Amino acid sequence: MTRYIVRRSLWVIVLLFAVSFLTFVVFYLFPSADPALLRAGRSPSTERVEAIRQQLGLDRAWPLQFLDYLKSLVLHFDLGYSFHNDVPIKEAIFERLPATISVALGALVVWLVAGIGVGIISATRPGSRLDRLAMGGALVAISAPVYWLGLVSMYLFASDIGVLPILPGQATYVPLTEDPAGWFGSLILPWLVLASAYAAIYARLVRSTMLETLSQDYIRTARAKGLRERRVVMRHGLRGAITPVVTAAGLDLGIVLGGSILVETVFNIPGIGRQAFEAIGQADLPMIQGTVLFGALFIVVANLVVDILYAWLDPRVRY
Amino acid sequence: MHRFSGALALVICAALVAAGCGGGGEKDKGGSGGDANFSDTAGKRGGHLDVLSIDDITSLDSGYWYYAYDYQALNHPTQRSLYGWKPSDTKPSPDLAAALPTTSADGKTVTIKIKPNIKYSPPLQDRAVTSADVKYALERSFLASVQNQYSAVYYSQITGASAYKSGKAKEITGIETPDDTTLVIKLSNPVGVISNGQSLSLPASVPVPKDYAEKYDKAEISTYGKHQVFTGPYMIKNDGKGNVTGYKAGRRIDLVRNPSWDPKSDYRPAYLDTISFLGGNDIDVASRRILSGKKLASGDFAAPPVNVLRSALATRKDQVAIIPSQGIRFIALNTTVKPFDDVNVRRAAAAAIDRNALRLTRGGSTLGPTATHFIAPGVPGFEEAGGLAGTFDFAKNPAGDLKLAQEYMKKAGYPSGKYTGPELLMAGDNQPPAANTGEAVQSQLEKLGFKFNYRQVSRPTTFSKFCGSPKANVAVCPNGGWGKDFFDAQSLLDPVFNGKNIVPVGNVNWAEVNDPELNAALDLAVGETDPQKRAQAYGDIDKTITGQAYVIPWLWDNQVNIASEDVKGVLNRFNSSWDMSFMSLK
Repeated sequence: MTRYIVRRSLWVIVLLFAVSFLTFVVFYLFPSADPALLRAGRSPSTERVEAIRQQLGLDRAWPLQFLDYLKSLVLHFDLGYSFHNDVPIKEAIFERLPATISVALGALVVWLVAGIGVGIISATRPGSRLDRLAMGGALVAISAPVYWLGLVSMYLFASDIGVLPILPGQATYVPLTEDPAGWFGSLILPWLVLASAYAAIYARLVRSTMLETLSQDYIRTARAKGLRERRVVMRHGLRGAITPVVTAAGLDLGIVLGGSILVETVFNIPGIGRQAFEAIGQADLPMIQGTVLFGALFIVVANLVVDILYAWLDPRVRY
Repeated sequence: MHRFSGALALVICAALVAAGCGGGGEKDKGGSGGDANFSDTAGKRGGHLDVLSIDDITSLDSGYWYYAYDYQALNHPTQRSLYGWKPSDTKPSPDLAAALPTTSADGKTVTIKIKPNIKYSPPLQDRAVTSADVKYALERSFLASVQNQYSAVYYSQITGASAYKSGKAKEITGIETPDDTTLVIKLSNPVGVISNGQSLSLPASVPVPKDYAEKYDKAEISTYGKHQVFTGPYMIKNDGKGNVTGYKAGRRIDLVRNPSWDPKSDYRPAYLDTISFLGGNDIDVASRRILSGKKLASGDFAAPPVNVLRSALATRKDQVAIIPSQGIRFIALNTTVKPFDDVNVRRAAAAAIDRNALRLTRGGSTLGPTATHFIAPGVPGFEEAGGLAGTFDFAKNPAGDLKLAQEYMKKAGYPSGKYTGPELLMAGDNQPPAANTGEAVQSQLEKLGFKFNYRQVSRPTTFSKFCGSPKANVAVCPNGGWGKDFFDAQSLLDPVFNGKNIVPVGNVNWAEVNDPELNAALDLAVGETDPQKRAQAYGDIDKTITGQAYVIPWLWDNQVNIASEDVKGVLNRFNSSWDMSFMSLK
């Protein structure tokens, strides 16, 4: 197991290098805009654009820029400075990371609880009205765009503009360390909105895997032995069906930790997803690099954790 | 100065944020509020105001500020330039200066007296502003590390400026400080916007103490903004030791009172105790929050979305303030690309354009009057250029005149009255409402037989790769826009039409106009110091430009600001935004 973790960790480094390299290449080969030009402002002289290009280090060949970037990253964990506002990237990302982690972990809890719960209910009553209602609802939740759902939820429930003003709305996020109650309240709507589509997908996933599991011989044996239905479903059925859910949850958490752009934008939560979105619009390469690297890191680490969890959940799995 | 925050907005006023209220009639509204009076400067002292914005300021450094939101959030409330702008004025008032500049008979020496005993915020609270501090502020605007965008345009005629900029001199010899309260500026040629104080109202004249700031300016990109000292009624929250603590990039700016500010020396009342500018908001939600909430005002967005504004004008008129921005929207016709090298084809295109329809793509008449020439209402030279009605037949009918357009096409050698040549490249913004405007332009010009390869791309790409790049040979750019720097037509006309401004990248002379006579007229007008002659000169230039139909002006923009019911709003005409130094709570 230890050898496996070490091997996977080395692959993480290779992958992060590849992601970083690709981001650089894409930025230089398919540029959407010239950062020096954007920084130069309106009516810039050629001389001024060139001076800014030099200041930003954009006048050198991109492989050299990439090597410098790697050197700073590896030796000093320095991600550079924003082209847009000269803020240190590391500082900017770490400042926004707690908000993204708050959104992601809270939403994970909501979608796992709701998705697994609804999935079990549907799987144990296949074809019933409750099952059809749950799966129909899931289809609606999957189809509703997060951006739209966010806006609608605020127009319905936000304390300042909602028809039923019961929950904090946009721009109400406060860090957990400053005000735990305020933190919790401000994230209820974002959690529900972000979790809705995931919960629906998980409900369908759990339903289908559980239906398959519940038709297995060992489940019939368990029932024949006289075990209570609750114990059969929760202990034997769910445990057998949960593996694909863990895989999906690990990957999805990694993606959400990389930034929930839409939810962070609609609710004005200062997370790294929103930061990445703004950076793309501003052709801010260092910020794009930083946020993409963190996003990739979250995904590969989440993958690793999932693989380790496999072994714990399924004793047959060995590395 | 431009409404759209961020350098990338620039010439492409396509505005992700601007919209407006549509509506019935197309009667022009030159700008008005609801029923409230947004110029009444009386107010109640105390309280806190939150200002909701979409984006962020462009920089903390006064030497870099150039955009309307920089002025609203930082320049006007926290710093004092030599000259400032009282809310209703269209001429600058002495701020740090004791009086308007005096100019020598030959127009080449400008003398400014500075008020004594204006103190800096901590940690320099014991130090008074001197003329040497203003001299250094103007000098540093030429430093590469400050990245100022306009010093080369407005201050390059100061004697010794180019030597200083190129590093050949340690100071600008043409700026003299005979004593602590006197500043003498020597010019190689007369410069109207220095003599009338307009360009000295820009934030490059905010005093910067050299011995304190020089170490920060020596960095590759100056870090003075993070350590700046303030002279205005407010300051960004700081630790009193020269470190700004109240700024979180993209998220918030917290302003508190400046303990060193003396109200007796200032025309600003500064009613509010504290102000926070909160960035990163969704425009729709922010607009609704402001209108239905308390102690909130709009920041960097040009107008609320159409549906929100329509409802606000119906039910919350007193919270809506509409003001002309002196900005213009236009379609650029590239004079170096056939067939737009022919004046009659350009006139035909201008005649064919239905300006009313284009205005509807942004929201309708509330967003401003249809334009008939370039200089916007309120800017000297507007009347001389033809006023609201305009001068030329092809620009007169706001609904377009296809028959007239076809006549011009015939004059250009197209007997059918329709274009018969190859397909042309058109490039515009891919986000509404600018994208809708572009599509309307395309369909209107197609009625004259034009065929387009229409590339809709992001705003920065339009600027970098298409309309701002002469080698791209874009024939039609439908999303052009430009705003004034101050109430003077030089800032509207010179950058967009002077041939010397055509550059390989970041070009803003999209029509690529390079007419030696026009260039000479523009250069001559820069030096005119008599206000009436200056207005006439620019009015005449505007007539030439409009007559040649280099661009098709179609909207003189209005700005729509909103505030909560309990906020007493005061608009500043200079940047068409709420003036935080005059705002108060009811």
